[in-house]
Amino acid sequence: MTLKPTNLRTRLTLWYVGVLALLLIVYATVVLAFQYGVLTHQLYHDEVQDVVTVEGLLYFGELGELQLQQNYYSRPQSHLLVDRLMEVRDLSGKVLYRSSTLHDMTLGGPLREGEGDAGFDERLVRLSDGSHAFVVSHIHTMQGRTVVIRLGYDLGPLRDRMIQFFLMLLIAIPLALALAAVAGQSIAKRALQPLEQMTSRAERITSSNLGDRLDIANERDELGNMARVFNLLLERLEQAFRQLQRFTADASHELRTPLAAIRTISEVALAKSTNAEVYREALSNVLEESGRLNQTVDSLLSLARAESTPPGDAQPGFILRELIGEVIALLEVLGEERSVRIVEEHPELAVVEVHADRSLVRVALMNVLHNALKLSPTESTVTIAFERSSTSCLQIAIQDQGPGIAHGEHSKVFDRFYTSCDRATAGTSGVGLGLAIAKLVIERAGGRIRFDEDFQQGAKCLIDLPVSVGFD
Amino acid sequence: MPSTASKVLIIEDDRKMSDALVSGIRSAGYEVLAASTAEEGFFLVHSGQPDLLLLDLTLPHRNGLDVLRQIRKEGIDIRVLILTSHNTVDDRVEGLRSGADDYLGKPFSFPELLARMDALLRRFLPPTPPASLKVGDLSLDPKNRMAYRAGEPLDLTPREFDLLLYLAENGGRTVSREMLAKDVWRETSRFTPIDNVIDVQVARLRRKIDDPFNVKLLQTVRGLGFSLREP
Repeated sequence: MTLKPTNLRTRLTLWYVGVLALLLIVYATVVLAFQYGVLTHQLYHDEVQDVVTVEGLLYFGELGELQLQQNYYSRPQSHLLVDRLMEVRDLSGKVLYRSSTLHDMTLGGPLREGEGDAGFDERLVRLSDGSHAFVVSHIHTMQGRTVVIRLGYDLGPLRDRMIQFFLMLLIAIPLALALAAVAGQSIAKRALQPLEQMTSRAERITSSNLGDRLDIANERDELGNMARVFNLLLERLEQAFRQLQRFTADASHELRTPLAAIRTISEVALAKSTNAEVYREALSNVLEESGRLNQTVDSLLSLARAESTPPGDAQPGFILRELIGEVIALLEVLGEERSVRIVEEHPELAVVEVHADRSLVRVALMNVLHNALKLSPTESTVTIAFERSSTSCLQIAIQDQGPGIAHGEHSKVFDRFYTSCDRATAGTSGVGLGLAIAKLVIERAGGRIRFDEDFQQGAKCLIDLPVSVGFD
Repeated sequence: MPSTASKVLIIEDDRKMSDALVSGIRSAGYEVLAASTAEEGFFLVHSGQPDLLLLDLTLPHRNGLDVLRQIRKEGIDIRVLILTSHNTVDDRVEGLRSGADDYLGKPFSFPELLARMDALLRRFLPPTPPASLKVGDLSLDPKNRMAYRAGEPLDLTPREFDLLLYLAENGGRTVSREMLAKDVWRETSRFTPIDNVIDVQVARLRRKIDDPFNVKLLQTVRGLGFSLREP
């Protein structure tokens, strides 16, 4: 069975404690080793000094036995050295002196080859009672005789101290870790608190209070940044949602108007008379209204279709020139009727490939050109000018000499169900979705559509379309 | 002009729609059977032996397409025209793949339904384009694409001629704007600009063929469309 805490806070704490434990163990090991090294070095240093001191105190007595000057013990600094172990041998290996602390045990056994020749030899020696001693040997010549002085200290106290230190660490480390865990847990809790707040806040956001936002404690930290991004997402969602709501309301309104007309016409006709001519008239009106209803539904479906089309670059390409030609051929007759000429400028620039849903782009261009023709006065000109704005973009400018667009309405004309309040154009407007569809389609194809606000002699619609190079 | 009282079966669950269709199609000279469920319709297909089936796709209990597949599986010789409000390209393709002969989206115009029914039933006969069409003193020569009124040739654009020919071919019956958009302009969907174009084009045609004469042949039927006939 694996234990894997799902709680982020616990996981963070566990990681934290784990890393800390590893660090403490490495640290303790290094400190122990260093401490041992320092103490051993100190011991060696003391022993060398002792040897030098002892050399000055040793003398051969009258019977030829080796003696240590007794006044040595009266020196205050020497009292620390009572646990000193010392053995002196001559070169033949005979023990000349052995300190009482050794209790007749040998300090390192027989002489070794060249022992003490090269200054102060250091080595670890095991005594016969099982204790260990750190020993230095040194050759010394006095009163014409050469002796080897071995001087050492019992390592017992040093090792005891090391073990004490180790035990202390053994207790202190878990204690420190426990403390760290508690601290870590609370730090993690505090760090994650904004997240918890955001979660509970986000949980409370539904379609009815989409306007609510997450609180941002500190915009520059990671959580603050997350909250900011999340708020932007909410913003976009809210916009889309509001748009949809407004659209649904508008659509039902637009559908209700012809429905109301149908109802009233029928009711009035039924109540008024039994005259077949009246009925005929009423039914014709009903049919016309139902036609309007049908057109609105068709336009709404086109919008829905345009909204669900994949972006332009995923679509097969078509030649723009051919499409424009078709649109002009179809709508030309509307202009001819009122002597409105359609003039193309630089049509050769339109011989380029466009990647988009061909039938939708066709509807879009048709809507824009239809608008221009509809609003053109008699004996005027509609100009369709092509211009290569960059290597990958073609601008189509469709310009009429009609009443133009009122100030401040240049972007509103693309709103769904927008109908101008200007009386000159109100009578000729259709369902009010033509330009909305055009905008959606052009933007889906990666392009842009807008009316030139600086153009005063009519309306000038600018369509930027991404095009493929080549095709000459 | 139905062939000697062809028999039409309507499977449609909406009663008002069904009643209207029955009465309209009957007055167009057909013998009509009606069913409101798939089972009933299926029974009538076997017992009544209709020539043409008008099939609604959204039926209670059983999908219209199932009925269609069953009919095709049994190899029954019958023309099938689907009437449905499911009107996307995919729906059409699926309907035609399942063995339908034609597909008409709701809401449709009644003249168009009649025209399509005629076309489907005409498929039994070898198509012979008439050498000339006559409506009153207007005559059309489809082969040379020429039109004459009172013996005088009319100066028509190709589109105007197509429009006139289509109206004449429908033999005095009303054609709707939907039919014109589809069959003369070859537009797959209908939208505001095309309606305007049709109206303008009809007005121009009327100026050429009717304005100089006393007898007006090109009639506007309000709410329905246009027809070419002697008043």
